[in-house]
Amino acid sequence: MVSVVGWIDDYLWGTLVILGVYGVALVLCILWGLLGAAARLFGPRWLQPLVSLYVTVFRGTPELLILLIFYFGSAVTLTAIGQALDPDIRYLDIPPFWAGALAISFIAGAYLTEIFRAAFLGVDPGSIEAARALGLKPLPLFFLVRAPQMWRIALPGFGNQAISLIKDTALISVVGLEEIMFTAEMAISVTQEPFVMYMVVAFIYLALTTVITSVLRRLERRANRFQEVR
Amino acid sequence: MLRVTATILATVGSLLVASAAQADSLRVGTECTYAPFNYRTADGDLTGYDVDVAREVGKRIGADIEFVCQEWDGMIPALLANKFDLIVASMSITEKRLKQIDFSAPYRVSIGQFVARKDAGLALFNADGSVNPAGFEGIRVGLERSSTYEEWMKAKVPDAEIVYYDGNEPMYLDLAAGRVDAIMTNPMKAYLKFLSDEGNKDFDVVGPQIEEVEYFGIGVGVGMRQGQEDLKGQIDTALKGMTEDGTLNEFSLRYFPFPIYPQQWAGTN
Repeated sequence: MVSVVGWIDDYLWGTLVILGVYGVALVLCILWGLLGAAARLFGPRWLQPLVSLYVTVFRGTPELLILLIFYFGSAVTLTAIGQALDPDIRYLDIPPFWAGALAISFIAGAYLTEIFRAAFLGVDPGSIEAARALGLKPLPLFFLVRAPQMWRIALPGFGNQAISLIKDTALISVVGLEEIMFTAEMAISVTQEPFVMYMVVAFIYLALTTVITSVLRRLERRANRFQEVR
Repeated sequence: MLRVTATILATVGSLLVASAAQADSLRVGTECTYAPFNYRTADGDLTGYDVDVAREVGKRIGADIEFVCQEWDGMIPALLANKFDLIVASMSITEKRLKQIDFSAPYRVSIGQFVARKDAGLALFNADGSVNPAGFEGIRVGLERSSTYEEWMKAKVPDAEIVYYDGNEPMYLDLAAGRVDAIMTNPMKAYLKFLSDEGNKDFDVVGPQIEEVEYFGIGVGVGMRQGQEDLKGQIDTALKGMTEDGTLNEFSLRYFPFPIYPQQWAGTN
């Protein structure tokens, strides 16, 4: 266990990297989810197959594969485009941080598209009709009646996704991002103590998911504060 | 609107890592998790035999070396996808890999060597370094099943009594316990896992390092994308210099008590 001491700063740094990836990916996946759900519900007809394709591909392929395609594919594609524009360019590339954050945000966004769409459709039609009967215009109707009910329905599904997203960050070590899985691999190579080093990673992830879970629980309590029956 | 567009373009641009045509910087792919060849110390410094070799090659051909950590399985795909320009990651030169990428001349050997108790008084080799089959009479030699070492033993000393193992660890244990008199293995592995242990200080390598390409392969080289004859030539020249002026010897001795580079400059492959 003593061997961990020398690596604590590396693990801390790796944890910051993970939180960075998580922050970026969380914001982006909510954006993709909202855009996807909006396109599914209100988009023009030509958009439907595209959203469908997006959801099918990103939900239906292994996460590791998508990550590798983003990382390797981006380098080949961008370099080809770059060299077409300016032959002097030797290479164009997305660094592992951004390739990883983008890849996992697209995956989570595909799930969130369906979660948000279901939440929109799950709002009690009676309350919408009542709001219309009271003469609410579409915009206030959305923000005052639909949104507060929608997010109550969406939160449990969204919460699962938010926890799954933090665990996806562990995949990004395969493209060379120096996060805590990578730190563990480096430490194992020097100390020959795989069990100890992997346990540290497990502990860090458990700590992070515990914090996320408690934040989500608070959000759910707030969303449901008008509900009499829990 | 124009300003928004400009901002977006600038942001996207800053996400990309681009480089102009200058060849004075080379990105080197390595695992960063393979001690003592390429690894990070607890202080965060990248070090190891591969890393030393890459830095020295960079110095000699006048290129800045920048390391990229890459998992082993994706090493060749990443090189081909232009994630970096060279592989310096203890990658053995094999026929199969040569179909995809080019290699420099070897900067580390693939070798076999015997390990035995220091006071055992074995005479496995003659004074000129050739095998002495008489020295194998009455002793038991341990080696890994269906390894290159087995092929070598069967070709050179067909009458030797061989004890087979499925892995290195049980072989070391039996050597320490006296169940076998000598083992034949990769001396680098034996040093890292067995000889460097304080409890095994009565054991050492016996006889010369056996560097026979037809059994053990050419060794470890610097990988690069195909069709870069200039770069390959520059790297080979640098490695030749490093082999001949003792630099590779110095790097070897930083991590092992014996040299791990080709003793004779074998020429380019």
